[in-house]
Amino acid sequence: MMKYTRVIRGKYYDSVTLMLAAKELQNMSEVDDASLSMTTDANLRILEAADYDISTIAPNPSDLVIAIDCTDIDPEKVFDKAIEILEKPRVHSAEEETEYTPRSLDGALSVFADANLALISIAGQYAGDVARDCLERGLNVMLYSDNVPLETEIELKQMASNKDLIVMGPDCGTAIIKGIGIGFANACPVGPVGIVAAAGTGLQEVHVQLAKLEIGVLHGLGTGGRDVRESVGGISFLSAMQALIDDEETQCLVLVGKPPSENVLEAIIKNATSCSKPVVTAFLGAAYDEDDEKNRVYYAGTLEEAAAIAAAVVKGEDVAAAKKSLKKIDHDLKNLCETKANRSGFLRGLFSGGTLAYEAQQILSDKLGVIRSNAPLDSRYKLNNSLKPEGNCIIDYGEDEFTQGRLHPMMDLAFRRERLVEQLEDKNVGVILIDVVLGYGAHPDPATEIVDAVEKARVEDYPLMIAYVCGTDQDPQNAQEQTRILEQAGFVVCRSNAQAASLAGEFASRSDR
Amino acid sequence: MKKLLKEGPKTVNIGLRGFYDALKQQESSAIHVEWRPPIVKTDLLKRLRKLRKGREQ
Repeated sequence: MMKYTRVIRGKYYDSVTLMLAAKELQNMSEVDDASLSMTTDANLRILEAADYDISTIAPNPSDLVIAIDCTDIDPEKVFDKAIEILEKPRVHSAEEETEYTPRSLDGALSVFADANLALISIAGQYAGDVARDCLERGLNVMLYSDNVPLETEIELKQMASNKDLIVMGPDCGTAIIKGIGIGFANACPVGPVGIVAAAGTGLQEVHVQLAKLEIGVLHGLGTGGRDVRESVGGISFLSAMQALIDDEETQCLVLVGKPPSENVLEAIIKNATSCSKPVVTAFLGAAYDEDDEKNRVYYAGTLEEAAAIAAAVVKGEDVAAAKKSLKKIDHDLKNLCETKANRSGFLRGLFSGGTLAYEAQQILSDKLGVIRSNAPLDSRYKLNNSLKPEGNCIIDYGEDEFTQGRLHPMMDLAFRRERLVEQLEDKNVGVILIDVVLGYGAHPDPATEIVDAVEKARVEDYPLMIAYVCGTDQDPQNAQEQTRILEQAGFVVCRSNAQAASLAGEFASRSDR
Repeated sequence: MKKLLKEGPKTVNIGLRGFYDALKQQESSAIHVEWRPPIVKTDLLKRLRKLRKGREQ
């Protein structure tokens, strides 16, 4: 196998086009691997780790780098093929042929004048300007794009606030409005709970756990993780919270996120204690008071617990009993793990959901001490190289460093799949922990992609493999079917992210360290 | 925002087409924009925007 790269200057292609082109190249018999990505620092580091020579390539996010690993073919032919694939016009489906697809915002509004929301998922460097145009035209904005500068976020949110609009994001992957999932979202019942989340997969996990308890959600408003920091001041979080307090159909609020800054948290709790509706907060890792039952404010330590409390509140059941029921250990699952724990060694978590990765670190650090990560709870434990896990470690492959000019790992599992092969083959690894996030917008069959990695790994004794499937049976992928695929390949599949992390911690704590 | 919660989403999707397809799957009202980056550089666009703002004021 020989590895080659070529840089194409000043060409923009969206992440889907790049992924499809890479897949088409990989289908060539002479090509072992192919990758097309924008020439960012992070993407160059990824190529370097895969033994590509990048010494002559200067980082420039406006350039495209094509990397190929091939034999018995002139690499120039493969590069030319790549360009040909990128340049060929996209084949439209019959449905697309008959529908009008405008090329500009104004074109869209000329035929869709009553639009009230813009969902923006273009490269971060352009997203701010497009969001500003949308706000100027009176649209609320959901900004899926990441890599948007902080000052742009503040400017956009202030602008929205002055117009009684909201900016959800940047880096907001999930919202639910009147029961409709926007971005990455699960198919769940509609009901009396409203969620405000500065955490995308946190919102999904609470949504899914509530569905398991047969409680629905009407609105789930995302804000992006930075919103609750001091610099942004919770502009979107506080206005979303107020909108749900004022909303006649919402009976109970659940607030989700990493711990907000002191001032933002104070403002949130002040609103919660003074409003007429029960409020459940799940700010993972925040210092908790006792539940303030007089004011109907409840504090949850995990996302699963937040859902259990909210369900109990809505059903008029005992909150303390709901919390207690979660503490029970599932002995059947633990016994199953005992039979599959073949190797002692470190725990490696390979996540696609940022909040799920964060929650897992919290649970695991209580059990195992230091957990290293590319997005650690404590900056002292940040990995030097996100591509080289050390010790007990959780990697979030949805972090900005991995998503510049590359699809999110919930949509394209190729990158995480290769990392999983490496970890399965690493003899120092005793436990693998993964999330599999389902729903609208996500990959149509993530479990099969994960199982491909298990089959590809060259190992005799597999480490203990624990998974959590964040989804419902009504999701397009069907959670039950995805669970079956994973279990058949040897995974132990848990009912929640918290349970999966907790169980993984039980076995990794026995690792030689 | 209150109007958005009351009416439900009527979405202009700018970017990944998969998100538009997901909205249509849920029978939600949406339109997809085939977005391309501006041909002129963004700093020039910013200057034009400032000029436009100045004129409006």
